[in-house]
Amino acid sequence: MQINGIQIDDTFAEAFNMRATRVIVTALNLKWAYHAANAMTGFATSVIGCGVEAGIERELSANETPDGRLGVSVLLFAMASKVLMQQLETRMGQCILTCPTAAAFSGIESEDQINLGKHLRYFGDGYQTSKLIPSNDGKAKRYWRIPVMDGEFLVQETTGMVRAIGGGNFLILATSQTAALNAAETAIDAMKQVPNVIMPFPGGVVRSGSKVGSKYPKMFASTNDAFCPTLKGLVQTELSDDIESVMEIVIDGLTFDDIAKAMKVGIEAICALKNSSVKRISAGNYGGKLGPHHFKLHQIMGEN
Amino acid sequence: MVASLGHIILSCIRLWVKISMTALTFTLKTVPAFKLNCARLTPNNLAGLSLTQIKSLNLLNTKNSAKVADFFDVTGDNAEHIIFKNSNVQLNFIGHKMSHGHITIERDCGDFLGAQMQGGTIVCTGNAGDRVADLMRRGLILIDENAGDYCGSRMLAGTIGVYGGIGKYAGFGMKRGTLLLKNQPNLHATIQDCGIHTLPFLALLFQSFGILPSKFSSIKSQRVQRFAGDLACNGNGEILVLM
Repeated sequence: MQINGIQIDDTFAEAFNMRATRVIVTALNLKWAYHAANAMTGFATSVIGCGVEAGIERELSANETPDGRLGVSVLLFAMASKVLMQQLETRMGQCILTCPTAAAFSGIESEDQINLGKHLRYFGDGYQTSKLIPSNDGKAKRYWRIPVMDGEFLVQETTGMVRAIGGGNFLILATSQTAALNAAETAIDAMKQVPNVIMPFPGGVVRSGSKVGSKYPKMFASTNDAFCPTLKGLVQTELSDDIESVMEIVIDGLTFDDIAKAMKVGIEAICALKNSSVKRISAGNYGGKLGPHHFKLHQIMGEN
Repeated sequence: MVASLGHIILSCIRLWVKISMTALTFTLKTVPAFKLNCARLTPNNLAGLSLTQIKSLNLLNTKNSAKVADFFDVTGDNAEHIIFKNSNVQLNFIGHKMSHGHITIERDCGDFLGAQMQGGTIVCTGNAGDRVADLMRRGLILIDENAGDYCGSRMLAGTIGVYGGIGKYAGFGMKRGTLLLKNQPNLHATIQDCGIHTLPFLALLFQSFGILPSKFSSIKSQRVQRFAGDLACNGNGEILVLM
């Protein structure tokens, strides 16, 4: 399959079941909402070393937030509900509680509720108070008011936890490092407009794609040598002579369709670039045996 | 997809049921010569009763108790929303121990409004008597005019709003909860001034007032003077005076 001279490989991205939650972070202005959310989603690129994969989903206007201030919505993904709960509480305590003027609210409805401010309230040392306030749908929700040095920290007691998918991805193969990065940035800009997804790596892009296993017994993942341009002559390479750099975009989303849409939007944006020096789009998988969700590139790009 | 479609249909049916039902309305026929105990006229007690059953209900649990129909014309069928019309200061204990639903009082009411309340909403468009929300645990009471003495006494939690003036000993023995006032009260010694602040949670609270038929629905300012008390009962309650 070819789109504007770029080859789309007949392969698929392999993704896994995850647990996810959404938190709405508001503050006095967008600057401080971003400070809070950036801290909360910092060091959250991969579940392998960070516990959760997290990112800012989008900005929210004043009439989209519960308290009528500007804010951002944050998505967090983990491999199991227990880890998600632990990580959420730690990040709430160290990043949102601490950030001037920040407040946090539930951003997703679900039967499963996990703690947002439920335990954080004990920071109030007995001076914390709660309010049960009816929302627009008539259901009352509990909020905690914790006295802090800048005034009062307002946080909803719980947020929803849902089943989600993590690890959707595609690879950008280009004739130079600059061209690959340029294309990746273009894709990320377009993909940020898609709701319900995050691209958790730095700037949304990852350069160190991995394979399962290693020559070192203690390592369970190591560099994806088949896609490393400097190893073309050494290993069974996936790269043709003209490819000099490969970038990967990893996507976590609430549903299969959300991820598929983000992949489509991203790949389309790259294919629409003029003189991009991108030659191929591929995807990362483990042979299809590890992850239950397969995102077939040809299917996503509209060919059966 | 199927689940969400079912959900939409279900909410449509619920909405239709709500619209097609009218609020259960108690219109006071004559001004009673004595205090009338209205503790039984709550959504909790009247749910599932027919109009005839409600009319023949004893107001008190005594042999010679007055019946509802002796004092009120009763119309409507939605016990989740109760309206008192022509109400006056003789009607005591409105909303007593209620845990859900909504009560609207058109004009004044007597003492112990929302006493021991455990949830739901009461809006009084006139004046309320003494001991509003005595021992209240949860819920919301909004009073558009004045409230008497001991407003929020022994309150455990919940929210009371008084748009007009307030009597003596507001928040007496209050443990937790919020008393939201429009006018500066005259407070007793165990309620202490904590200064003037902008409180973020008020934005959420005022949003929830938006749909209610009360003067409070138009309030926007989050700037309040905060008094904490009653210090004789831990002091986790608060009296907020809107600036």
